[in-house]
Amino acid sequence: MNDLATLKSDMEGCSRCSHCKWVPMAQIKSWRFAKICPSVDRYNFHAYSGGGKLIASNSILEGRSEVTDPVMEIVYRCQLCGACQVSCQAYRDDIDLADVLLALRAKCVTEGYVLPEHLLMIESMKKEDNTLGLLKADRGVWAKDLDLIDINTQKVEVLFHAGCRYSYDEDLRSSVRNWVRLFRNAGVDLGAAGPEESCCGGRAFEMGYQGEMKNFAEDMIGRIKASGAKLLVTPCSDCYYTFKYLYPKNGMDAGLRVLHAVEYADLLIKQGRLKLGKCASLRVTYHDPCHLGRRGEIYKMGWNGVNKLHRPVRFKQMGNLGIFDPPRNVIRSIPGLDLVEMERIREYSWCCGAGGGVLEAFPDFADWTARDRIEEARAAGAEAIVTACPWCERVFKDAIAAGGDPMKVYDVIDLITMSWGG
Amino acid sequence: MKLLPKDVYRELADALGEENISQEPAVLDGYAWQPAMNLTNQKWIPRPAAVILPATTEEVQTIVRICNQRQVKFKAHSTGWAAWGGPSQEGELQIDLRRMNRILELDEKNKFAVVEPYVCCGQLQSEAMKKGLTCHIIGAGPNTSALASATSAWGYGGTGLSTGYSGRNVLGVEWVLPDGEVLQLGSPGSHAGWFSGDGPGPGLRGIMRGFSGTQGSLGVFTKCAVKLFPWYGPPQPRVEGILLDVETDVPETEKMFFVVAPSFKKYADISYEIGNAEIAYWFCRSPLNAGVDLFMPRAGDRLFESKPLRALLKAFQHLGVALLSSPSKREVEYQEKVLRKITVEHGCILLDLSKAPGYGFWWWLMGVRSIPTALTFRAGGDFLTSYGSPVEYDNAIRQAEVAQECKQKYIDQGYFKDDMSDIGWGGIYEGTANWGHCETAAMFDRRDGQAEGRFKYLEDSARTTIEHTLGLGLSNLPPGAWKVYGPQLHNYHLWEARIKKAFDPNSVGDEQWYVPSIDEIEPKESSSDEQ
Amino acid sequence: MAKKEDLARIVGPERVVTEEDALIAYSFDSSFVKGERPECIVKPRGLDEIQRLVKLANDQGFALVPCSSHGPHSRGDTVPTASGSVIVDLSEMKAILRVDQRNKVAMIDPGVTFAELQTEVEKQGLRIEMPLLPRKTKSVVGSLLEREPTTGPKYNWDAIDPLCCLELVFGTGDLFRTGNAAGPGSLEEQWASGQAQKMPMGPAQTDIARLIQGAQGSLGIVTWATIKLELMPALSKGFFVAGQTLDELIAFTYQILWRKFPDTCLILNNVNLAAIAGLDPKDLPPWTLLYSLSGLTHLPEERLTYMEQDLAEIAGEFKVTPRRNLAGVAADRMVDLASRPSEEPYWKFRKRGACQDVFFLTTLDRTPEFIQAMDGLTREFGLTRENLGVYLQPIRHGTGCHLEFNLMYNPNRPEDSARLPALFERASRACLDLGGFFSRPYGLWSELAYAKCPDTVMALRKVKNIFDPRGVMNPGKLCFKKEA
Ligand SMILES: Cc1cc2nc3c(=O)[nH]c(=O)nc-3n(C[C@H](O)[C@H](O)[C@@H](O)COP(=O)(O)OP(=O)(O)OC[C@H]3O[C@@H](n4cnc5c(N)ncnc54)[C@H](O)[C@@H]3O)c2cc1C
Ligand code: SF4
Ligand code: SF4
Repeated sequence: MNDLATLKSDMEGCSRCSHCKWVPMAQIKSWRFAKICPSVDRYNFHAYSGGGKLIASNSILEGRSEVTDPVMEIVYRCQLCGACQVSCQAYRDDIDLADVLLALRAKCVTEGYVLPEHLLMIESMKKEDNTLGLLKADRGVWAKDLDLIDINTQKVEVLFHAGCRYSYDEDLRSSVRNWVRLFRNAGVDLGAAGPEESCCGGRAFEMGYQGEMKNFAEDMIGRIKASGAKLLVTPCSDCYYTFKYLYPKNGMDAGLRVLHAVEYADLLIKQGRLKLGKCASLRVTYHDPCHLGRRGEIYKMGWNGVNKLHRPVRFKQMGNLGIFDPPRNVIRSIPGLDLVEMERIREYSWCCGAGGGVLEAFPDFADWTARDRIEEARAAGAEAIVTACPWCERVFKDAIAAGGDPMKVYDVIDLITMSWGG
Repeated sequence: MKLLPKDVYRELADALGEENISQEPAVLDGYAWQPAMNLTNQKWIPRPAAVILPATTEEVQTIVRICNQRQVKFKAHSTGWAAWGGPSQEGELQIDLRRMNRILELDEKNKFAVVEPYVCCGQLQSEAMKKGLTCHIIGAGPNTSALASATSAWGYGGTGLSTGYSGRNVLGVEWVLPDGEVLQLGSPGSHAGWFSGDGPGPGLRGIMRGFSGTQGSLGVFTKCAVKLFPWYGPPQPRVEGILLDVETDVPETEKMFFVVAPSFKKYADISYEIGNAEIAYWFCRSPLNAGVDLFMPRAGDRLFESKPLRALLKAFQHLGVALLSSPSKREVEYQEKVLRKITVEHGCILLDLSKAPGYGFWWWLMGVRSIPTALTFRAGGDFLTSYGSPVEYDNAIRQAEVAQECKQKYIDQGYFKDDMSDIGWGGIYEGTANWGHCETAAMFDRRDGQAEGRFKYLEDSARTTIEHTLGLGLSNLPPGAWKVYGPQLHNYHLWEARIKKAFDPNSVGDEQWYVPSIDEIEPKESSSDEQ
Repeated sequence: MAKKEDLARIVGPERVVTEEDALIAYSFDSSFVKGERPECIVKPRGLDEIQRLVKLANDQGFALVPCSSHGPHSRGDTVPTASGSVIVDLSEMKAILRVDQRNKVAMIDPGVTFAELQTEVEKQGLRIEMPLLPRKTKSVVGSLLEREPTTGPKYNWDAIDPLCCLELVFGTGDLFRTGNAAGPGSLEEQWASGQAQKMPMGPAQTDIARLIQGAQGSLGIVTWATIKLELMPALSKGFFVAGQTLDELIAFTYQILWRKFPDTCLILNNVNLAAIAGLDPKDLPPWTLLYSLSGLTHLPEERLTYMEQDLAEIAGEFKVTPRRNLAGVAADRMVDLASRPSEEPYWKFRKRGACQDVFFLTTLDRTPEFIQAMDGLTREFGLTRENLGVYLQPIRHGTGCHLEFNLMYNPNRPEDSARLPALFERASRACLDLGGFFSRPYGLWSELAYAKCPDTVMALRKVKNIFDPRGVMNPGKLCFKKEA
């Protein structure tokens, strides 16, 4: 992974145009939903924007300023949603903003500027292999009675990776179980690691504990290889991003195809292996999870040049190749559902607020960010906001519960289940 | 590093809340990194002593009053893009207006909007379009503040033929003067609405700005009404994609053309004709080689190396893009007919872009949203601009011609990217007015540390501007330019300096991009003034 | 008297007028402004003389009242308020210095009238955007410095239009040129390089011309100005739209302005339309929109055709009927009348011999409120409907509207003369209270208008102090009264 110093040229390329505070200019559709960066929108000083953090990094590198407690707040009050990079790269070829944000965090961690909430999570990961501070032994509980093939003892074609939140969050338990039922229904034999499944390590990496991910990745890759799986399916967008982007970017190759559960469902529907029923009529909108959408874009390997001005555009991580259509296809294939779009969608989607360790360390900020999205869903005329990530779902549900909002929140799988009369 | 005196900081923090002021070095550096128009060989501009985020006019007033009482210089900006938005020396207070971000009024019938500083043109346009209107967007792009351009900076934009020039589109204004008093220009000052900016009596807009604004040197603009213009396209077009991938549905009554003239002279001729004929929604010069560099810089590098391809591009040097727009098919048909007639009569080539694949991309990005200028950063990571005074269009085109020659020398020496030199951009403004502008950008990589050569180019372009009587262009206006040009232009700087003194008696507004108080230029005069 | 001799030394004795009649003529006008008799009238011939006059006034401390038009004056702005004032009569500075056909701009002396300029520019296929039927003696520069609205909102982008650059002498005696005329380069060099002093902004970061506009001669004296011209259309067609109510016309007017169709575009009530066209108001609808369409250099007929077809559709949608004639008058004739100075007698005086105007800026949609209030007031004062002219002039593409009430009266009828001042004052106050913006505050209006904007007054006094620190330029006007 990049050390901050290797990104100096990116930093010095910033023209301070502030594109990274707005949705890409071509996509501004209203006054209300034109902004894209929750961090600067909430805290206002330029340093909170993507570009601002780029400048702060440069300042720190040059010894003009140091990491301090206030700087740490700036660094961590950021969902690492990647929206700033999309807006910047809409017209800049030589700045990899998201890399700088990650490297800056790593620097903070190295220098001991860490948040207790994050430390707790890291401790939990180290001790219990999950981000939530729960017992490793309970990890497989979610799959009780599902009779998944145990990959610790048997070979499988398709490996189902639930991820930390789905493994433990009881509110979301039915969702993850329903995913399994769905694929079963399509005739897919799924294997899982049960209590041996561990965290993908992506969250540690994002939090700045970059080295930590390596252990998890090695563990994960070892298990995958041993399972003989050709396909890994995960309902968690965070894990998806880790597999598709972070692992290969850091030179780690799981050696199998990775699909998000919605992608797989979409594929199975297209292949005619899955048929969905009808839902009661409902107007829904789809929220693109950052880690499945723009950040879920596969890592573009193959360019080793120095001067990014000469980097061909196809190697730019622009976010437009993330997973956007499969979830929409699935929703559209359910009669009764009316899918309306919000203004900020696809690679220029507004973050749910949970990412980057914000939910753990700054729950009020996560909530504030989620509310903006719920507002947008309402403005689009939706009765329900649908997503495909347990983190998004969690933060939306909490925000709605706290505010007594009539908006409903569903995972794509919930809609599928409803279509089956579930 | 200079900080604010502790008690001043406290006073400001008490007034606006701790969360709206900062003197954290890394935060302050967010305001000290202003590479655009940083005409020094320093990477950073001076770091402010603190940055503050007001949300209301009253808060701005409080800040400015404290600055006066405590002799603290300040500089306000809206989005803060370029060095003129930041302090010119350490110890200053940076006022970041991003919390003042509302569209207060959008008067559909009377075609104006009242905006606060942090409303960007993209936002204003998207709301205006819903009501059949649009706003002027400067070439810098829709990410810029509509108010900043209208009150404080220039105002050139590609759509100027039908959306004018920012400085001339201003109606009512609310202004916190450098001494902390609020002045409302025009009708809002008389509680009569925002539709007018001049009067009663003399038009005080004249001290607010001229061809350029005072760049934050004369107080803080907190609200401003800007004229809006008819928009004949769909109120909420379907747009997919974010840049090169943009797709949209263009109504058949929105047609774009490339008009290619055989020479500078002929290009000027058709510009006069098109303006006089009242046919186009806009018409703007954009040489094809510039487009290549903006949209495909890597391929451009290879193209420019090939002699035959260079020659081919050269054939499209005098290229203008015309947009015809109307809600009526008849009207567009008429306009197209006249456009064809004019181009034929002047030996030009007309290419109908509307028939080209990906037309929606051109229409939306260039024709409507004014996005491409930002792409000037792509090729080199930075650019500077030169020439480009607002002037009768014959003279504007002459500027492109002079610029081409001057810039080529610096391309040859490796200071600028080879873009075939003439990328003179700018069109005709205000319908039949026959004035326009043509500025010449030059692309480079700031990180290569060759600043000196670029300054020399700027000096050269300024010099040739004067030699050829090309108005006061963009290269003639770096800080302190008044020392050279003031005496040549009826000592305008002295009048500005007197205005500065009268309205900023404590000299708290950072004057780097304007003039200092007359006390500093002519100390004698001011002492004899006191009577 | 030393002063007169000094003046004569500057302009020549024959150009210093001291005849009683002439002086008396300047001591009042048809407004209600009361003033002082000037001490003399001087008629300078050019910049140098003007500059010397201003310097003399500064040295000796007397007031100068610049005046570009021949009388009769009607706004009180040229009536001196200081004793010992000198009228600087520029009406004989009549040179049309340059007409640039390609750039459509003329450079003229302050004394050039609309008719004189029009005659000259017509030769080059050009025309000037004009206020509605200015009086014959009206100076173009004077009118535009006063921000009088012109009849073609399409060509009116900004309040300053069609005024471009100015050469002027400030109250300090300093020479200045505004806009691109300031330089770089001499005028000749600029012309040689393709410039024509059309760009009004600047120089640099101030817009002095904007300050001078609306200053009623209180900041300096303009010695020449450049004026933006338009092409003389190859074809022009006028239309009336008659309305029983104003509202129906307003909606339609907004729409055609949005389409940028009309050249001339204004609304008159029956009284004003009758006065201009020589008709009886009774034969006319209460309200009439007058607009013209033009065919330009290229395919003029086709332009008119599509516009008419589109307009027919719009009219249908708005349930109005454009027509070419009204009460026996052709719209073409009206358009023609509206694009030249008034024949004598001046159109506003035709009906009753005299007229007081109450005008201000508002927006087109708000005009009915003012009209209703005015109707009530005139009734209260016993002025019949047939004596209240109303003129609505959309300005700046329709972003604003000049609304003008013309109170026509018989100056020889004692009861008329007696009640007019009170009506005028009440009407002015009422319109101000309703939110009318008196952007050109003459006479009484200056008191009323400036009372509403103390912040503007403070700023203007600072400006005055810069450009006319000794207060020699038309003192007592606007908010530049002697401070208590
Ligand atoms: C890459 C680039 C391209 C450009 N292209 C064009 C162009 O094509 N046409 C054109 O006209 N200009 C152009 N400009 C200049 C542009 O006009 C100004 O930078 C500005 O108007 C852009 O708006 P902003 O929101 O960035 O303003 P800011 O950067 O916020 O401010 C611009 C100036 O106005 C002052 N200011 C802003 N708001 C206020 C306020 N509320 N009160 C007091 N002072 C204020 C600031 O101090 C600063 O000096 C360009 C600039 C750049 C960097
Ligand atoms: S990071 Fe990119 S988008 Fe943001 S200010 Fe810098 S150049 Fe602009
Ligand atoms: S990653 Fe998201 S929250 Fe963080 S700076 Fe970028 S846009 Fe803002």
